[in-house]
Amino acid sequence: MLQSIVSYGLAVGAVYALIGITYNVMYSASRVFSFTAGMLGMLGGVLGALFIQKMGINAVLGFVMVLACGAVLGIVTELLTVRPVLKSIEQHLYVLSTLAFALMIQQVTAIEWGTEAQPFPVLLPIGEGWLDQKFWLPLLACAVTIGGLEFLYRYTLIGRAFLAIAEDNYAARALGLPETWLRIASFALAGMIGTLAGFTGAQMLLAFFGNQSILNFYGFVPVALGGMGSNRGAVIGGLALGLFQQAANFLVGGIFAAVAVFAVFIVVLLLRPEGIAGASTARRV
Amino acid sequence: MIMMRAWRPAVRKTMTHHCSGAAPAQEDAMSSEPLLQVSGLSAGYGKIVVLRDIALSIGAGEAVALLGPNGAGKTTLLRAMSGLLPRSGQVRLGGQEMPNANPRATVAAGMAHVVEGHRVFTQLTCHDNLLLAGYGVPGAVRARQVDEALAFFPEIAAKRNDKAVTLSGGQQQMLAVAQGLVGKPRLLMLDEPSAGLSPVLVDRVLAAITQLRASGTAVLLVEQLIEKALAVVDRVYALARGSIVLEARADEADLPNRLERAYFGEGAHAPLDA
Amino acid sequence: MTEITTPIRAGGASTGWLGRLEGKLSWILLGLAGLALPLLDDSYMGTIATRAYIYWVLSAGLNLVVGYAGQIAIGWVSMLTLGAYTTAALAAGRVGPEWPVYLALLAGGGVGAVFGVVVGLPALRLRTFYFAMTTLGFATIATQVALAWKDVTGGGVGTPGPVFPWPFDPGWGFYYFCFLLAAVATWITANIGSSRYGRALVAIRDAEVAAEASGIAKPRLLVLIFLLAGALGGIAGGLFASLQSYITPDAFTFEMSVLFFIGILIGGRGSILGPALGTLILTVLPEIAAPLVQWSTFLYAALLLLIVLVIPGGIADLLDYRNRRPLEQHREIVPRPDLLPRVLGDQNARTLIALKGIRLHFGGVKAIDGLDLEIHGGEVHGLIGPNGSGKTTTLNVVSGYYRPREGSLRVDGSDLPFERPHVRAQWRIARTFQTPRVVGAASVLENVMIGGTVHGHGTFAESMLSLPRHRLDERVLREAAMLALATVGLESLASVRADRLQHSELRFVEIARALVLRPACLMLDEPAAGLSAEEIRRLGGLIKAISRAGTAVLLVEHHADLIFDICDRVTVLNLGKVLAAGTPEEIRSHREVVSAYLGA
Repeated sequence: MLQSIVSYGLAVGAVYALIGITYNVMYSASRVFSFTAGMLGMLGGVLGALFIQKMGINAVLGFVMVLACGAVLGIVTELLTVRPVLKSIEQHLYVLSTLAFALMIQQVTAIEWGTEAQPFPVLLPIGEGWLDQKFWLPLLACAVTIGGLEFLYRYTLIGRAFLAIAEDNYAARALGLPETWLRIASFALAGMIGTLAGFTGAQMLLAFFGNQSILNFYGFVPVALGGMGSNRGAVIGGLALGLFQQAANFLVGGIFAAVAVFAVFIVVLLLRPEGIAGASTARRV
Repeated sequence: MIMMRAWRPAVRKTMTHHCSGAAPAQEDAMSSEPLLQVSGLSAGYGKIVVLRDIALSIGAGEAVALLGPNGAGKTTLLRAMSGLLPRSGQVRLGGQEMPNANPRATVAAGMAHVVEGHRVFTQLTCHDNLLLAGYGVPGAVRARQVDEALAFFPEIAAKRNDKAVTLSGGQQQMLAVAQGLVGKPRLLMLDEPSAGLSPVLVDRVLAAITQLRASGTAVLLVEQLIEKALAVVDRVYALARGSIVLEARADEADLPNRLERAYFGEGAHAPLDA
Repeated sequence: MTEITTPIRAGGASTGWLGRLEGKLSWILLGLAGLALPLLDDSYMGTIATRAYIYWVLSAGLNLVVGYAGQIAIGWVSMLTLGAYTTAALAAGRVGPEWPVYLALLAGGGVGAVFGVVVGLPALRLRTFYFAMTTLGFATIATQVALAWKDVTGGGVGTPGPVFPWPFDPGWGFYYFCFLLAAVATWITANIGSSRYGRALVAIRDAEVAAEASGIAKPRLLVLIFLLAGALGGIAGGLFASLQSYITPDAFTFEMSVLFFIGILIGGRGSILGPALGTLILTVLPEIAAPLVQWSTFLYAALLLLIVLVIPGGIADLLDYRNRRPLEQHREIVPRPDLLPRVLGDQNARTLIALKGIRLHFGGVKAIDGLDLEIHGGEVHGLIGPNGSGKTTTLNVVSGYYRPREGSLRVDGSDLPFERPHVRAQWRIARTFQTPRVVGAASVLENVMIGGTVHGHGTFAESMLSLPRHRLDERVLREAAMLALATVGLESLASVRADRLQHSELRFVEIARALVLRPACLMLDEPAAGLSAEEIRRLGGLIKAISRAGTAVLLVEHHADLIFDICDRVTVLNLGKVLAAGTPEEIRSHREVVSAYLGA
């Protein structure tokens, strides 16, 4: 039992962590929290099953196509729902615009794909039992993503430009950094990370349109607790959340797990609105 | 975008002239107008109009100070010129119209703006900060231009691989000025580089202006420390209540008194003169 | 006296096209239609209408949260879930003995109220998106719990809904029950909306800092609103369970939340009739156009996106013809300082605000470094100095935003608590802001009335039921606000939306709002910025007159000529310390000051 708690918990946690990183990547470039993170995760599974299972496309090609769709959706998100409301960001209209867009995509999925959860194909028949690929695949995806982002931020100019824009948008613009393009690139990147999460987690979570709201919330919890913009916080928080959920599921039942996560989320945020590791807010007057 | 492509090569050519130490006067052969020509500029925040109908000019290689009491609109003017804030009216650099609200194109055209409050990227190294300042510079020469900018500030060069967060306020300010230099601008705009610095550091930062002027780069300096500013510039403009109220040579004898009258309004009580 | 009574009546209207419709007539028509519907004897239509009423019971409360307070509570369907399961489980005897159905419905409302506050509490501390996410998370979890808690909810299989006994038995009896409750919900929320509580909610939404300065305590007010909205949501849930006759977790989809939310947004923020019509239309529309049913949520979401991107103010804004009528082009602000004694009343006591030894640090920076300052009633005290010298920080210490490390702040000898901005109004300390902070969507008059919030005596419940004390409050406040507007010279703009005013007019609106408080101390933060020379002259005259009526005025300003013109005393700050203090003449000839001002 311990093995399955750990393997399943870590795997789900890795999916949460990746969705958390998706939130972060979008937030860093735009200061916008986007409800499309869960949508991307949901679509990663649905599109993967569609391409590989239904349409019989080769798994590698299908995977690349899923990521490409994620990038395109990320760009559409930026153009359609973020850029128009960015000028008056203090009105928080992005909450509604990104939510509306995510819901539209979710509804199209529900109608065209169906409201039943459908199985996701086995990609690499490696490992069995608690070492099954469906458990280590999300963890691998998470590790690759973290490594890739680290490389990007450390060794490329565009990666440093991402960091610069995240730290001080105004100074970055003054230096002549192409803020708009960097924001689009960030959203495309977030789109790929989000669909990667859904794709690698879909054997556990299935290809199901309802995953959207679940991933939206459970992907946000680690980010909110770890501090917005901190990928390390998202990974630690995500894995911890996954483990906690599975342990509670097995030991005391699902009601308690759900309520406990929510209670912890609210209590921590009420005590430390900026997250456990976050910085405090600026002055208002 | 198309416009940018059209004039970028011209800019680069002129800049190479500067690097090779050509006389600034050569540039004026292209056009008879001064390097920077601002006319009819108005700008503000939302409904608040801060600047009304500003006109000023700066010659190639000239250092000019922009003075004025706080709240006069100095920072707003720099922002409007560099495209960080939308404006109406014209800003021309070397005969080319600068696009409105497009800081990227403005930087590429050779106008650098070092914003107030030494806002460097604290989580990046000094070297990375400078590389970013050269984002629009071709990769082949970027590293060299970074080195050239660093040559102005040996103490930053010594710390080039340290994160900017470890620098003191004065060093961060030098780094910010160095960022402005990486692109080899024709006009460098500095917004209160002395703020929060000790007198010694102020001198170090302002000394760079003298060096720059010697190398042919024009400088527009916003500064609170008037005497220090006057020591390094050729000319001054004074801004009060959103308009240019005074233009004078820096070595004019009666300048402090004229400034005072310009700030406090001619019609106000004037016991000082009595 | 007479010359003022006329404009008081003229400015009486509330905002906009829907505002005027809200004048009874449309409600009477809606009510008559609802009462007469059973005459058609069409039970299908009756069911649809009942559903619309139930949705509106929830949306009426949610409207106060979303439309008025501006809190993005996107998961309010959870209140429906809680109310439905509570009522159903209690009535069916799944928890203890069977409850009478009406009592079970009340319990549903009670549970809704409690969880309304639980879910709403984070809004007091969290940023907008976090709060939206909390409500969404709660909705997700409510459904998960409903699925898992089989004993009480029947899990995925579901549980039968309660059946209301006579007189509201299924059919038209139940129809009238829902109609009645919808009417009550409308009446209650409309009363709140047009009361000082409603204005305070809107102020929290659009100008939070100004709301605090006007004495509005956000936590208390929001808790009341969440309580009310939760209770209405819970009751709607109980009714919903009865209408459905059998409920499963599937019935409470997140899409329903979207319907509630969009109904309110379409109708326009800060209106009651608009969201009511919006909810009605969104409920009925898919029933009429059957092929739309499958795509209805998609269309709602598309509509939401469209509204946000194209008309963030909702349809109400689009139809707000009256506020699109052009205003007079060349308006002049002509203050009437002669009215000040009536606005301010007797300021017999000479107020004295005394700051002593104030030290305040931001991180390592000394923002204020041992400041002594006295502001006397009847005088204008100017505060000047270079950027970063601590002027606005000083003002913010008095306004209660910061807690200094050391020092005291006394008003007439008694200590004023630090870091409590919303108690300043009770001490009759008013202020204006560097950038005017007004509620753009409210009328100028309503904006000014916000300033007098603390003068009201009626409780929330009294306002909810429109009892006499509430009505007296409203009348007194309205008259005071009109008088203040006349004093600053803006009474002709009383009914205009504030966001249509010019910048200079907004500065005077802020002063009028401060005057309604009858301030013992008035703090002005750069009131002359952005004003023309003539306007500055009039402003100066008004400020001076305010001080002569007995108010202590603290003036932070860059315009040196204005300072030297109207101040009785001037304090010059530099690096958080007093550089000089004295009469304008002394300061004007103070060598150090002049050089600090010009830069040394």
